[in-house]
Amino acid sequence: MVNTGGQLYTIEGIAAGLILLVTAFIVVNSTSVYTPGDSHLNDMQLEVIGTDALVMMDIAPNSTAAKSPLQTIVETDDSPAFTTLFRDIANFKTGSLRDDIQFLATVNYVRPDGTINSTPLSSSSRSFTGTEHAVRVTKWVLVEKKFPDCSALSCQGKHAALVEVLLWRD
Amino acid sequence: MGFIVSFSLFFLAVVINQSTVVGQTTAEAVSEFPKNDIRGVRDIVIKSALLDDNDPFKNKTTVQNEIRTLSLGRQNSMVDFPQVPVGEFTYINIHYNNGVVEYNELWTSP
Repeated sequence: MVNTGGQLYTIEGIAAGLILLVTAFIVVNSTSVYTPGDSHLNDMQLEVIGTDALVMMDIAPNSTAAKSPLQTIVETDDSPAFTTLFRDIANFKTGSLRDDIQFLATVNYVRPDGTINSTPLSSSSRSFTGTEHAVRVTKWVLVEKKFPDCSALSCQGKHAALVEVLLWRD
Repeated sequence: MGFIVSFSLFFLAVVINQSTVVGQTTAEAVSEFPKNDIRGVRDIVIKSALLDDNDPFKNKTTVQNEIRTLSLGRQNSMVDFPQVPVGEFTYINIHYNNGVVEYNELWTSP
């Protein structure tokens, strides 16, 4: 004959065992699997690199009031200079190994009739085919330039332009 | 006693379970926020405020209209920046809205 105390211990043991089973399930279940939908976390890092590179290019030498390299590049459509400068800033790492970030840059400006036009500025050695997983970074520049498709005198002077760069690794 | 111990283990497991979820939601919130867009617009708005209209080809009005057009067309965001000169200072009410994030700032010239 089993007494009441023994029954109580048995019930407690079974209940505790069940709770531990559930605990083990929760612990095993709490790992998170990296899926393609989570790739925006890597995109974020690429975005930081690209933004920083553009910010560095938009700072005048020695913080003087002179034009920044990016302003000069946009004003003179200096594609090779952009390619060299951006490629080096984005890809140089500590040590001798280089990173392998590819890019495609365009300049956006407003036409006199109020529509927006994009002109290609530069691209890296591997061309953009459209299947890459690219992120977009932008930088506003204030340039003194007469953009194409406007010959009127009033088109001279300062204009706002938006430099857009698509970045991807391959 | 066994019951109490297993319950405390259960709660610790729930804490571990939540910690990964918390990290992921925070990272997502950070990456969704258009920090760089807002910084860029703010930067160019302040630069444009220091231009002037009187001098030929300084184009302050043109530049400011271009900023509005470009940010709507290329960055999907409405920006507006009414400027109020008060004495020797300039105040700009910078407004940014991309449908998800709204940012307002009163900038004062130094």
